[in-house]
Amino acid sequence: MSHNSVKWLPAFLVPAVVVAAVIAVPLQAGAAVDLPDKTPEQVLLLVNDSTVSTFSGTVVQSSDLGLPPLDVSPGMTESMQKSMTEGAPKGTTDGATAVSSTGALTTALDLLSGSHEFRVFIGGQDQSRVQVKDRLAERDVVHNGSDVWLYDSSSNAANHLSLPTDLAASAQAKFTELESQLPTDLSTPSQLAERFLSELDPSTTVSVGTDARVAGRSVYQLVLKPKTADTLVASVSIAVDSETGLPLQVTVLAEGQSAPALQVGFTAINFAAPNTDLFDFVPPAGATVTEQALPAMPDGATADHAGGRSTAAGEVPVVTGTGWSSIVEVPAAAVPAELSKNLMVEQVTTAVGGGRALTTSLVTVFLATDGRVFAGAVPLARLQAAAE
Amino acid sequence: MSSSEVLPSVPGSVNPARRGGGWDLLGSEISVLFRRRRTWAMLVAVALIPILLAVAVRLSSSTLAPGEGPPFLDRVTQNGLFVGFTAMVVAIPLFLPLTIGVVAGDTIAGEAGLGTLRYLLVAPAGRVRLLLVKYVGAALFCLVATLTLTVSGALIGAALFPVGPVTLLSGDTISVTESLLRSLLVAAYVTVSLLGLSMIGLFISTLTDVPVGAMAATIVVSVVAQILDVIPQLSWLHPWLFSHYWLGFADLLRQPLDLGSFGQNAIVQLCYLAVFGALAYSRFVTKDILS
Repeated sequence: MSHNSVKWLPAFLVPAVVVAAVIAVPLQAGAAVDLPDKTPEQVLLLVNDSTVSTFSGTVVQSSDLGLPPLDVSPGMTESMQKSMTEGAPKGTTDGATAVSSTGALTTALDLLSGSHEFRVFIGGQDQSRVQVKDRLAERDVVHNGSDVWLYDSSSNAANHLSLPTDLAASAQAKFTELESQLPTDLSTPSQLAERFLSELDPSTTVSVGTDARVAGRSVYQLVLKPKTADTLVASVSIAVDSETGLPLQVTVLAEGQSAPALQVGFTAINFAAPNTDLFDFVPPAGATVTEQALPAMPDGATADHAGGRSTAAGEVPVVTGTGWSSIVEVPAAAVPAELSKNLMVEQVTTAVGGGRALTTSLVTVFLATDGRVFAGAVPLARLQAAAE
Repeated sequence: MSSSEVLPSVPGSVNPARRGGGWDLLGSEISVLFRRRRTWAMLVAVALIPILLAVAVRLSSSTLAPGEGPPFLDRVTQNGLFVGFTAMVVAIPLFLPLTIGVVAGDTIAGEAGLGTLRYLLVAPAGRVRLLLVKYVGAALFCLVATLTLTVSGALIGAALFPVGPVTLLSGDTISVTESLLRSLLVAAYVTVSLLGLSMIGLFISTLTDVPVGAMAATIVVSVVAQILDVIPQLSWLHPWLFSHYWLGFADLLRQPLDLGSFGQNAIVQLCYLAVFGALAYSRFVTKDILS
């Protein structure tokens, strides 16, 4: 009998060891990291001094906003727009997102539900490629010099955008112009960091959290905590690579929720320059190729980041309040009529006093019956109060 | 066991070579497995999946819009090499697990049901060796089944449709040779994907003397795992389900080649091999072999 019980040992031991390993390995990856202490200002300087221009890696974005699971099946245009907003290098995003509100909504909802995995390849300032890994499909954004290609494998469609060659130059000029308007004592990065922190100071507590490990690299965590209690945001932490100063992860925590409401971060990163062949995109044979004209660039200083719509008087979104509890009000004239009739809107919003509302753990959107739209990282009651 | 030398002569259905060393045992196991009509019938059925798909697409007059039907099906008319990929997607959820269930479920229970098990266990180290041999046989069947699907897909695709450079999911184009290499890589991925289920089948097979019961139970396990995989409340469990990475072979069709899910899949399958291998060992070495 005891002979037999020895023979049964593996049946208990092996599963126990496997389960222990499955639990222990991720714990070990997050084992305590102890880096030399730095002040928030020093961490900001670290980011500023970062010289990383080429890398490749895997990015995972996950959100837990308490939204009902939705069957969001974006069609071609929506997914293209999504790729553009997600993937286009900063500076090209504003011009490229001339999207209809419904498309943008589907896109936003798709992003806000579940998790997405991307592969990112950066080969310097004017070469990048982002691949959105879908199940048995992929969406690509390839930026190489003056060409931007968008490719969607499920529809086998490619869109091509030609960027004006002077885009970078004009952006640079604009930046210098803005810089010249700044007080002269901001010429050094450390002064800039100081200024940035003092700007934040009235609304936000900035601290350096516990050191951690992201994508196998030790990171400093810059933690921004709102001072007001009127916001749904509990804290925003930015993980900064201790060696290169590259921000590796952004985590947004919501009030009353332990799981991150929003998290975007690298799960793997490699600082070697990616193969340049990756950026030479040729649309495959048989693909539908669409040439897209680049919408006229809005003036950089007043660029409307929410969309490329022309903003006539009376259509300009108004921001009330300051800091974390600020509320954006979009006047009825600027809200497309089809928004209120959209079935998707019906599906995700609930009827509340004075209109319909979309409540998530981080952001609340309130569609007033008179057509105005209010949004903010605040509780619904504050939006309703603002609508009155 | 000590009276093995005086055992009655082995019935004709069992190859006498089975009484030799481990390699002889393995050789005879494999030859018995692949001389079975049932095995051949399953392999023919596996080969028929891409053939049916390709013929249906060829005979149909309507062209599929991009994204319509199973993945890659709309590409088939332009490039026959996609037949294999479509067939793989179609076969993975049910058909391949079904054949694995039949083979793995039969391993021990089949011998027990036929009354041949005790003849296989004449050597002192017989039970462990027999388990290993049975598992290697089942694993080899996984490989042969996926290769059959890949090869028959490539052949029928080449026969009915034009063949040319293949467009990957990333939109990049690779040569025919490289696409064949990637097809083999996909076959390797799917084979690895099925190893965990094979071990589960082997374990279930040690529990019973009724082979049909073990086969059915193995297939049920594979279906249950896939159902659990779509329940959002169990998302913490999903990465550890043996079926979770089954369709992850799509990562092999991206540019640059993404071996991440190959590795994750292999780790998950290894965990299942270890756990169910240990269970099968403990169960089998303590089992009373009466038949």
